[in-house]
Amino acid sequence: MIELIDLHKQFKTKAGVVKAVDGVGFTAKDGAITGLLGPNGAGKTTTLRMLYTLMQPDRGSVRVDGRDAAREAEAVRRTLGVLPDARGVYKRLSARENIAYFGRLYGLDEATIRQRTDKLAAALGMEDFLDRPTEGFSQGQRTKTAIARALIHDPRNVVLDEPTNGLDVMTTRGLREFLKQLRAEGRCVIFSSHIMQEVAALCDHIVVIAKGRVTAQGSPDALREQTGEANLEDAFVKAIGSEEGLFA
Amino acid sequence: MNALHTLWTVMAKELLEIFRDRKILINGLLMSPLLFPILILGMGSLAENRARTQLESALELPVINADLAPNLVAFLASQNITVEPAPKDPEALIREQERDVILRIDPEFADDWRGSRAATVEILHDSSRQDSQIPVRRVEAALQGYGRQAGALRLMMRGIDPTLPNAISVSHRDIATPEARRGMLLAFLPYLLILSAFLGGAYLVVDATAGERERQSLEPLLATAAGRGAIMSGKIAAACAFGMLALLLTLLSFKISFAFVGSGPLKGVDVSMVAVGKLLLILLPMVLLGTTLLTLISASVKTVKEAQSYMAFLMLLPMLPTIILLVNPVKNQLWMFATPFLAQNQLILMVLRQESVSLQQWGVYLAAGFGLGALLWAIAARLYHRESLAISA
Repeated sequence: MIELIDLHKQFKTKAGVVKAVDGVGFTAKDGAITGLLGPNGAGKTTTLRMLYTLMQPDRGSVRVDGRDAAREAEAVRRTLGVLPDARGVYKRLSARENIAYFGRLYGLDEATIRQRTDKLAAALGMEDFLDRPTEGFSQGQRTKTAIARALIHDPRNVVLDEPTNGLDVMTTRGLREFLKQLRAEGRCVIFSSHIMQEVAALCDHIVVIAKGRVTAQGSPDALREQTGEANLEDAFVKAIGSEEGLFA
Repeated sequence: MNALHTLWTVMAKELLEIFRDRKILINGLLMSPLLFPILILGMGSLAENRARTQLESALELPVINADLAPNLVAFLASQNITVEPAPKDPEALIREQERDVILRIDPEFADDWRGSRAATVEILHDSSRQDSQIPVRRVEAALQGYGRQAGALRLMMRGIDPTLPNAISVSHRDIATPEARRGMLLAFLPYLLILSAFLGGAYLVVDATAGERERQSLEPLLATAAGRGAIMSGKIAAACAFGMLALLLTLLSFKISFAFVGSGPLKGVDVSMVAVGKLLLILLPMVLLGTTLLTLISASVKTVKEAQSYMAFLMLLPMLPTIILLVNPVKNQLWMFATPFLAQNQLILMVLRQESVSLQQWGVYLAAGFGLGALLWAIAARLYHRESLAISA
């Protein structure tokens, strides 16, 4: 279970101080998919970066399975599988070697790494290119490699930043099935997206973020009720306050 | 999982990547072992050949007013100097480097000579030209020889002992060891070795931090449970290992090429396995300094390009001691062994000249070198913990 409590984060830029995250809080339960929906620049990536301890919140806290992320950063990262916004792979290594590198960094032995790699490769449909060097991989192949290496240590909690970005329809469908499988295994899954159809199709709990704030959250049904809109799409638009950047 | 395991994992992965990149491997590992011996041996033998031809071949010397001093001209011919007719504009000839040296006999020469006064001859040359040094010295020596001969004859004719004007007699005893004299030819070998130690792992180091960030693979790496200090140390260790391998190959190539120098000034330079081992030990702290410094730079800049812009400056650093010693030569003192670049420079020269390095000097050197390396490592580790490090965009 992941709890985010009143997170704040601001950056100093040449144009002045930007409040990237200005009071974001929600709880993501085990065995459920929590979706972070918001237009580009709403503060989703910054929120997730604070969640996986890459950034320190100015205010507020993150608790993962009861552990405080600021105080026990390494222990928290151990229970997290993270697909960041940046998903570069090592070009001189094959997909399998990329995955094994992360497995070794988590201290797994070679037999476990092999077994987990084969299992993830089957689930993500990457047997065809598993042993090829990643140079020249398509966007989808790179993303699958990055997801597999993020989950090599069998984490209880999975955090994916815009996992379907730049993927074709078939790969996106496959990825959806994979996320459902993670949920069925009882994991806590959080993913962010700016595409409402995707969030609507998958999530048990939806957190709508705009301008660094949570503007609405709840199950799809609860959201419809809160906004008084029968259509989920209209509910999102109402929650965000504009239609900007919400369509795929 | 512990830090050491992380360090080892990162190091193995960085080395695997670099060994799969053939072009970088050839540039990084084989270029200097192939180039440096050619450079040093080629330049050594070129200088030697040139000196030998200048010393042994007949020197062509244009002489102005040669008809005023026929005896002097005859003497010059006996000294393997061929006298040539006077040119129209002697100074222009020297300036345009057509001639190294021209002799002008003063119009009053004949009168002065007959009157037993000091007769004037003038050597025209350009002292800023390295190439004219040997010809000028040959002409000077010949003229002095002629002058001494004539002077001694004049004294004897007047019944005076010709050695009387020589109140003191100066003689030289050169106590430089033969090894040290050869070492002089190798004055720039320390610079080459220090430079390749200092920046030999540069590509790998810049790529492993700034390059990874640019290719967006640093954020996922730092999002794993592995500690940042250990990740950074693994990258530094990989670059150090690569740098030391490149150095070992360079030193071995020196060893092999020196074995082929049958005679000549480079023969007998100490390239025993013991000397190679000592050189590696001297250069090890340099490799550490270079990689930690570059890691520090890579962690504080935004792009690979920005990191590379520091390279021109870094290449100058190893040159500083050579330049300072050239302008202000000082005797070896203990503090020098604690000064980076200067210490390496002096120690490499000492090893090549087969001078003994005391335990105290080794101690000061290694403590200072590794101490500074550890300090740079600590600063780089601090920078590695900055929030902005992982963020590529």
